[in-house]
Amino acid sequence: MTAFPKLPRRALLAASLAAGLTQALPLAAFEIQGEPKVAFIYAATARDGGWNEALDNARMAVEAQLGLEIATVESVPEEATALKNAVDLFTGRGFNVIVATGYGYSEGVLEAAKAHPDVAFVNASGATNAANLEGFYTRTYQGWYLAGMAAGATSESGKIGIIAGFPVGVVNWDVNAFALGAQAVNPEVETTVVYTNSWWDPVKEGEVAQALLDQGVDVIGNNLSSAAPFIAAEKAGAKSVGFQLDMSQHAPEGHLTSVVFHWDEYLVPTLAALQDGSWEPSEWGAFPGMADGTVGITPLSDDVPDEVKAQIEETAEAIKAGTFEVFAGPVVAQDGTVVVPEGEVLDDGGLWGMEFLVEGVKGTLN
Amino acid sequence: MMLAVTAWLGAMPGFMTPLLLAALGLLLCERAGILNLGVEGVMALGAMVGAAASLGGFGPGQAMGLGALAGLAVSVPFMVAVIVFRAPQIPAGLALAAIALGASAALGRGAAHMPFAGLAVLGWFDELEGVPVIGRMMQQDGMVWLALILAAALGLWLARSRGGLRLRAVGEDPATADASGVDIQLYQLGAVAAGSLLIGLAGAYLSVGGSNIWTEGMVAGRGWIALALVVFAQWSPLRAIFGAALFGGAEALIPRLQAMGVEVPVYLLSMLPYALTIAVLVLMAFSKRARQAEPGFLGRAYIRQDR
Repeated sequence: MTAFPKLPRRALLAASLAAGLTQALPLAAFEIQGEPKVAFIYAATARDGGWNEALDNARMAVEAQLGLEIATVESVPEEATALKNAVDLFTGRGFNVIVATGYGYSEGVLEAAKAHPDVAFVNASGATNAANLEGFYTRTYQGWYLAGMAAGATSESGKIGIIAGFPVGVVNWDVNAFALGAQAVNPEVETTVVYTNSWWDPVKEGEVAQALLDQGVDVIGNNLSSAAPFIAAEKAGAKSVGFQLDMSQHAPEGHLTSVVFHWDEYLVPTLAALQDGSWEPSEWGAFPGMADGTVGITPLSDDVPDEVKAQIEETAEAIKAGTFEVFAGPVVAQDGTVVVPEGEVLDDGGLWGMEFLVEGVKGTLN
Repeated sequence: MMLAVTAWLGAMPGFMTPLLLAALGLLLCERAGILNLGVEGVMALGAMVGAAASLGGFGPGQAMGLGALAGLAVSVPFMVAVIVFRAPQIPAGLALAAIALGASAALGRGAAHMPFAGLAVLGWFDELEGVPVIGRMMQQDGMVWLALILAAALGLWLARSRGGLRLRAVGEDPATADASGVDIQLYQLGAVAAGSLLIGLAGAYLSVGGSNIWTEGMVAGRGWIALALVVFAQWSPLRAIFGAALFGGAEALIPRLQAMGVEVPVYLLSMLPYALTIAVLVLMAFSKRARQAEPGFLGRAYIRQDR
């Protein structure tokens, strides 16, 4: 009876890998004619307090740093026809760079890229790629591992929780990384995950937070972008971890840190490359991480003990240097099976298709 | 386990109240023969206005009152269309849903994602705090109690008062009511106006009483569930309390089971309220009593010349 309007955004991203494999295209630089004229297409309002707002912040950074003036259109439904109209409107006016911002645009943006071979396209969390189209996402699990360390160190009950949307690869890796990070500082910690099966239901999210608090959880990670879980946690005197944007305003007392996107770190170099004609879209899509600056955590709260702060700092440096991998073996799933053997690291295919929860996580995927 | 049951029963009224208020509003409309499919949108607008008013410095009670008034205001074109001009109720209702959803999204931009204080728990039953189960269950905000009182009052009014009987006659057999001197359109306008107030209030409770924050799409299908709830309640306000408790209980159960780490498939759990809705509708379709309970003229336009 209810539709899940936000489902297409990142859901089923796991399927993107398979799609990507069959769409191998020759790698070549793509050049646009003349100066870049850039337009952003948002699936919801740009200042939505989460996903789109993070991208909109990057848009402003691009404008300031590259001296570009960027046109925007908001609330374009994530369906091929709606996207086509928006794209045609911009290309008809001479725009030659389109930045789309949703997984649900994946198919439509591929069609548009074929229809407008002289226009460059990039799509946030997009699952399609072409000679003039690049999907991009970032390794959010790296940030969630660090946030997990903060959570594990500050939990007094030894129980932490994470509220997530749909059990798909890009969400599961955040859940698992959060648990693994917490276990790194407190091996006994128990992580409970609750999937709300929606990207947007603050009533449910607030209630889930309350249910977790009732179970003795005293640190709540919110993998969704509504403020309701922070309000519930704050009322109960519990700690919280945010995602997408700095969520400290919603929980001034208990906020430990937020795992945040810095899309400007991808968009500024990409658009600069388009400016000087050196843009080479990756045939697998762009998948930068903390080393590239596209994801990070906000300054840790003073509730995190100094020695743990130092440990988190050290781990962050190791992740950036490539000497530490979150999903390096042995990784053990809930049922005790070894999913990544010792000495191996889960590859990108395994990340996108992550269909397991690690040992120490309470909750179920299906 | 006991703790979990206590927590579940404590959370249930919060889920039950918006469903009950919306169902009472719909019930009023339907008893007057008007099928109001705009409920989902009207709730959305009520939620937005309640949040915006709270952010604008109004107290929670005033904010919910304004949300209710917004529900009434947006329903005026629907009332005029289906009651005065006797437009078909189903498309008019769906149009109302779309308009109100759109209006809430467009007007609510500045109010989105901003937390506010919201409705507080009443302190009336603090002495019961130590009593197992009951103590926690009594810790509710005033709207929970008000909704229950409203349901009882509405049930009594429909069954016992002259006005209530006339309203039922209008929905049951408008020709007869008309012949006996009842002003059909006046009763329908009154019922839909009061119903829209209640539906707007239900929406406002979601943001002001529940989440203490507003975002687009936060009603999330609860309006549609309320529609099924009216059928389940066989158009009786008292039975609507039990229906709302059942649906609200199912909704409150999901996060608790998950938080306890019970290994139940998530997708199945999320389906629960909707599966329950369909199951109830199917069961009711088989029940002779339920079919008799449906207002005889529901969804149809009464035109005096056709009598």
